[in-house]
Amino acid sequence: MIVAQQKPLEEIIGMLIPYDRILILGCGTCVTVCNVGGEREVSLLHSSLRLAQSRGLAQGKVFSEYTVKRQCDKEFLAILEEKAREQDAVLSLACGVGVQVVADYLPDLAVLPGVNTVFMGAFSEAGTWDERCAACGDCRLAATAGVCPITRCSKGILNGPCGGAKNGKCEADRSQDCAWILIYRRLEAKGELDRMRRYYPPRNFRTTSRPRRIQGR
Amino acid sequence: MERWSKQSLDRTYVPPCEQACPLHQNIREYVDLIGQGRIMEALKVIRDSNPFPSICAYVCPHKCEENCRRGRIDKPIAIRALKRFAVEFGGDRMVRIEQKTLFEEKVAIVGSGPAGLSAAYYLRRFGYPVTIFEAHPEAGGMLRLGIPEFRLPREMLDLEIERLIRMGVEIRTGTPVTSLDLLFRAGYKAIFVTIGAQQGRRLGIEGEEMAGVVDAISFLRDVNLGLRPLLKGKVVVVGGGGVAMDCALAAVRLGSERVDIVCLEKREEMPAGKEEILYCEEEGVVIHNSLGVRRVVGERGRVKGLELMRCVSVFNEEGRFSPRFDESSISYIDADYVIFAVGQMPKVPEDFRLPISRAGTISVDPVTLTTGRPGVFAGGDAVTGPSSVVDALATGRKAALRIQDYLQHRYPFEKEFERPILKEEMKEKTVEMVRKVMRFDPPRLKVEERVSRFEPFELVYDWESAVSEARRCLRCGMGAEITDQERCASCLTCLRVCPYGVPYVDEKGRVVIPPSDCVACGICVTECPAKVILLRRPSDRRHIEEGLNYLRMASDAAEKRPTIVGFACQYGLFGTGSLSPLFSYAKGGLEVIPVLCVGKVEVEHIIKAFELGTEGVFIAGCGQRQCARERTLEFAREKAARAREIIGGLGLEVQRVEVFDVEELDIRIAIEGFIEKMGALKLERSLREER
Repeated sequence: MIVAQQKPLEEIIGMLIPYDRILILGCGTCVTVCNVGGEREVSLLHSSLRLAQSRGLAQGKVFSEYTVKRQCDKEFLAILEEKAREQDAVLSLACGVGVQVVADYLPDLAVLPGVNTVFMGAFSEAGTWDERCAACGDCRLAATAGVCPITRCSKGILNGPCGGAKNGKCEADRSQDCAWILIYRRLEAKGELDRMRRYYPPRNFRTTSRPRRIQGR
Repeated sequence: MERWSKQSLDRTYVPPCEQACPLHQNIREYVDLIGQGRIMEALKVIRDSNPFPSICAYVCPHKCEENCRRGRIDKPIAIRALKRFAVEFGGDRMVRIEQKTLFEEKVAIVGSGPAGLSAAYYLRRFGYPVTIFEAHPEAGGMLRLGIPEFRLPREMLDLEIERLIRMGVEIRTGTPVTSLDLLFRAGYKAIFVTIGAQQGRRLGIEGEEMAGVVDAISFLRDVNLGLRPLLKGKVVVVGGGGVAMDCALAAVRLGSERVDIVCLEKREEMPAGKEEILYCEEEGVVIHNSLGVRRVVGERGRVKGLELMRCVSVFNEEGRFSPRFDESSISYIDADYVIFAVGQMPKVPEDFRLPISRAGTISVDPVTLTTGRPGVFAGGDAVTGPSSVVDALATGRKAALRIQDYLQHRYPFEKEFERPILKEEMKEKTVEMVRKVMRFDPPRLKVEERVSRFEPFELVYDWESAVSEARRCLRCGMGAEITDQERCASCLTCLRVCPYGVPYVDEKGRVVIPPSDCVACGICVTECPAKVILLRRPSDRRHIEEGLNYLRMASDAAEKRPTIVGFACQYGLFGTGSLSPLFSYAKGGLEVIPVLCVGKVEVEHIIKAFELGTEGVFIAGCGQRQCARERTLEFAREKAARAREIIGGLGLEVQRVEVFDVEELDIRIAIEGFIEKMGALKLERSLREER
């Protein structure tokens, strides 16, 4: 799932300076799950901006709010014909994908990102999210017992461990587990340690050109 | 399946206590109101479905408590004692009901027992002229003649009867009815026959006619009419029900040397209430279980003792009463007096011409309460055989409704519950996770003080224990629900924050909050990122928003901003009073918004409070020790931390949001410190602005 983080309120207020009528637009999918862009956060941001106005910031602006099911498909955005009418800007609390689809859909309006999209990851414990996938386009999880060395090893090496781990923790970040030690332990438990012997040639990231596109589906 | 009606905002289920109560009292609601310290409102809820709450407050056998789901966690809520508290502290004495006559059709009620009084009450409320005919010189039936004064003070009964008379019910005492035809001829359009079961049963064994042997009904009647016979010597009461216990307690008060109870049932099978048994034992009554009387032994026509035999089983395979005895196991007990409390039956005058069942009771249609005769309805003990006061009150109400249907030529229709009922048990995991809170029983007089007097020995709660007891309620069936599965993002936040492990993911991948487990703490409501979880009871949903709106309107009207806004636990403010000192700071501009648990405060509420122009916002919990909820203050602290982040981003000092724990710090000290801090911040700011 896509994980995002709310932008600081100062930055949001700064972005809004040129506009008078602003629609705060939430997204009911990933950003709702990671609790930055769902209906609750839309409403809270709305209140916070009103409070800012009462403190003399962002004055003279009119805010409205709405949350769609998913911003990354234009079919869900049809409602914006009505909601975004006579608005100057849309402050989207969706991930970067959503912001772009909304921007395409409403070419005459300023579409502003209210959150920073940070990674693809999973919930681990109360309020904590961990990165799990880098969308590298060449998945090796079968060989690494379901632990991704690209995202979970701070060096992203394909043939580990690097030798710098101490007590199972990474030398670059002592709070993180060494991904390659995790891989080793899991393979050991499965009796597949021979996978460790294989050498994986370095990947050539230059061959993939951006933006990537998948066709024929 | 039953559903909520479309118009209704109330999405709660009918809890087990309400299901079990013959009157279907809204117990959960009034218990909650008592917990909040809203005693008069609690009394109003009680009065809505109970014609004589002060009588039930003393003598109800409280089936609700037996069905209370808290019983699985620790002990059931003391519902009857709470009702008594509501009745006495809510001012039931002062309640006056006035009723105009709206219809011409006169209704006669034969018998002024609880069923008759209840029917009269409701028929009068509907607007019919009602006359009660009572054979005895005073109204009340078994309430006056059967129940001893130490269980129901006569003053309470007189009060309720007085209230009926003020409502316009005519009560003709000393007027036995021998023929229903005469009543019809006198112009009554409908008759409710509720003559009770006033004849004590006998066992039909040898020696029953001897001097010193009485049946419970005659004994209690004598006692209650003030003929208090001196029982010198040993008294044996035969029977295991409530009447037997009353006889035993009465015998103790009549100077007997020793009182024994002999009953067929095993200890756990005894029909008497647990409390009644406990009271008997406290007063030194000895209960002998699993024994039947073989014969009464006497000398020169006077009882000397009872020959007893072992009772092997009381009920047969079908669960019917059919005792089996072991005649080889014989014992003997000395007795100077024997009281048989082994059941009662009605005595229906033949001229009534009503169908009588084999058990000697009047046969009626169970739905309409009609007898074979047009316009004649019957109910109460005369139909069911001996049962409880609350059953009689329920029958009286039902009779009133059916008589109203009859008089208005309507098809009788009754839906038992407007809302679906809560059926499933609470799951084991949740039972373990719910905080255990001690049950407070109401105080009672010491044994030595009570055995010499015919006065009630159960006392009423004081405010604090009543509130603490009421707050133990689990709020069954009024928990949270996911109102819109479409908008639910299946983020599992509810599942992760629930302190009781209630929500789960079903086999179709949907998140479910089972109503049978949820205890309505409201934590998930404040956390749901899609805002699709709501509490089932309407008054729980928007009370904080409404408090804020009210405050906005009030401060706009007064053109004055609140200096400090506090979200304070309603239970602590008005219930236990741990937070009530907060009100003394109102002059300084401190505004309190009562919340039904601080766990329900959302970040947005705090931000909205700042929008009102306040200097600071605090959250004050009631104190964990008194709270039946888990970790509510912890959740409040998380919300406060997020609010601090937001106001910090707007250039406000983070000290402006505070959470108080009255367990750690006295609320007065805490609030004074906070006020001082806010004053200092204000000064600082004005100095800054000058510069």
